[in-house]
Amino acid sequence: MLLTAAEPWPENATLYQPLTEDQILLSDCASSLAVQAYLRMCGLPVQVVSRANAEYMSPSGKIPFIHVGNQVVSELGPIVQFTKAKGHSLSDGLDDVQRAEMKAYMELVNNMLLTAELYIQWCDDATAAEISRPRYSSPYSWPLSNILAYQKQWEVRRKMNAIGWGGKTLEQVYEDVSQCCQALSQRLGTQPYFFNKQPTELDALVFGHLFTILTTRLTNSELAERIKSYSNLLSFCKRIEQTYFEDKSS
Amino acid sequence: MGTVHARSLDALPMQGPELGFQADDIEAPETEPEPKQEVLENRDVVVQRVHIDGLGRTKEDLLTYEIAEVFRAKNLIDVMKMSHEARQKLLRLGIFRKVEVVIDTSQGEDALPNGLDVTFEVTELRRMTGSYSTMVGNNEGSMVLGLKLPNVFGRAEKLTFQFSYGTKETSYGLSFFKPQPGHFERNISLGVYKVTGQFPWSSLRETDRGISAELNFPLWKTNQTLKWEGVWRELGCLARTASFAVREESGHSLKSSLSHAMVIDTRNSSILPRKGGLLKIHQELAGYTGGDASFLKEDFEIQLNKPLFWDSVLSASLWGGLLLPIGDKPTSIADRFYLGGPTSIRGFSMYSMGPQSEGDYLGGEAYWAGGLHLYTPLPFRPSMGGFGDLFRTHFFVNAGNLCNLNYGEGPQAHLKKLAECIRWSYGLGIMLRLGNIARLELNYCIPMGVQSGDRICDGVQFGAGIRFL
Repeated sequence: MLLTAAEPWPENATLYQPLTEDQILLSDCASSLAVQAYLRMCGLPVQVVSRANAEYMSPSGKIPFIHVGNQVVSELGPIVQFTKAKGHSLSDGLDDVQRAEMKAYMELVNNMLLTAELYIQWCDDATAAEISRPRYSSPYSWPLSNILAYQKQWEVRRKMNAIGWGGKTLEQVYEDVSQCCQALSQRLGTQPYFFNKQPTELDALVFGHLFTILTTRLTNSELAERIKSYSNLLSFCKRIEQTYFEDKSS
Repeated sequence: MGTVHARSLDALPMQGPELGFQADDIEAPETEPEPKQEVLENRDVVVQRVHIDGLGRTKEDLLTYEIAEVFRAKNLIDVMKMSHEARQKLLRLGIFRKVEVVIDTSQGEDALPNGLDVTFEVTELRRMTGSYSTMVGNNEGSMVLGLKLPNVFGRAEKLTFQFSYGTKETSYGLSFFKPQPGHFERNISLGVYKVTGQFPWSSLRETDRGISAELNFPLWKTNQTLKWEGVWRELGCLARTASFAVREESGHSLKSSLSHAMVIDTRNSSILPRKGGLLKIHQELAGYTGGDASFLKEDFEIQLNKPLFWDSVLSASLWGGLLLPIGDKPTSIADRFYLGGPTSIRGFSMYSMGPQSEGDYLGGEAYWAGGLHLYTPLPFRPSMGGFGDLFRTHFFVNAGNLCNLNYGEGPQAHLKKLAECIRWSYGLGIMLRLGNIARLELNYCIPMGVQSGDRICDGVQFGAGIRFL
């Protein structure tokens, strides 16, 4: 990172995400909640601001992004690096083996959970037509709303095809989610956090995704049901919500 | 160019066998040689037939309007004058490559002794023409490739496809132009286009995809334009280092606007006028026909020119504009006005005046700019009527201001704001006229009244363009 390490975390740090009521989709909400959880765990105050064009404001095109001082950083990975350069880190206490394990599990969540969320949002026709397209295009007027919604859908479907998810059925995706949750549940065991006593960025990421899936209404509740079958994950989510988000109403 | 031949009129006693004229020489009847003129003018003639030869796909009903005047000629000089005018009218339709006029005595059984036949021999343009040209805009240049289908359906409709690649903009577009038969100045244009522009002074990148429909018509002495435009605008940051204010404007928006423009132009040239004036008033209302953007935009342009002693010209110009947002959405950076540069207030960098954030200029919602110029021929007058004629020396004073509106304050506060902190500059330079299309300027400028945040270009400044303050 740059020489901004010397500057302390300012009071007016802001996190940008799409409009909460009408626009934001499951995957973006999950990513944003993960970053918010991470920053709360670090004890860094941040204000959440909703903008209709948040996706286009982001330097990488992905939600969320934070505006700190005069720096703009997007996505959890770079944000973790950024805070580390400022002297705040959650994974300092881990040894190399644990750190590698943490990275592997974070990859798992990104490759499985996030991709599954995107698949369900955009590749499942029912969800796309009833939820994703109307919400994504809500800030815009016709015909721009249709153009942008279909453009996004086409782009996500193309990406799904590129990574080999194009041919999957919804059932297979649910199965993948179940397997991912099983791996997470096994790693978590009876510990409060993934690396025993202290939360790390992995905890923030898992919380962001699982909590959002549990609390978002989709066309059917199959996805939430799959997660609910792992009780330790449920109590994990509740624990983090109560510890770090007690003032937040979900 | 074209030729008007008058064949010998056998019934007339004439001194010479033939009269040959160049059409361009016919300015007024007085140019004809005196003795013949008397004879000809006294002779009443009747135009019996007017033919147009060489028509392919052009429909005849379109042309009857243009040549109708010829029938009204009462004597030979009138016939020549009317045919010349009709020839000009036919050429301005843009569908003929060449038009020649032939005036002959009437032949045939029903020929009157003083009857005349006028024939226009036309050569139509090819069905499809390609063109490659370079274009000069305001401080930018571009290469333009064009494909034109003139006279598509036979009534002077024109279909044009244009691709332009320039220093600041890349664009392509398709447009369809249709004049009203008989009233060429009344026409309708439909277009669809995509323009990508880069604006380094704002660190902004803009892509516009739009469709437009435009109606032009003359009204008394003015030229009016009514236009509807629907544009999908995409804004983005030009660099990672763009200011956050510009980053906040990124994204998509839809603008659907109705606009009206009125132009009165009595100047003899738009690039280097010697006399006359220009008044242009333009207003745009967005948001009432759909779209996200909602505003009312007014701007005007006035220019007056007065020739003085020794071939010099005094020119005064005034520009102004106002952008009023309707509703509670703030205005977009793409709609605001920009000021400064070699084509507006000289001595300041291009569009680098007014509200800014971290070095990126955000434009303003209200502005005014005025200029006073004295153009004189080059001091040493290299060659009268030669290359030296294209140059002028140029003394100028420019002033102006650009600011944002502060809602809640009344119009008085805004006027006061525009009147304080005026930026102005003065200087002198040399100007070169490029045909009737563009002009180049090389000026030595001294900017004054510079406010913090403005970027100046004091000293030598070069400018090229078509519209200068």
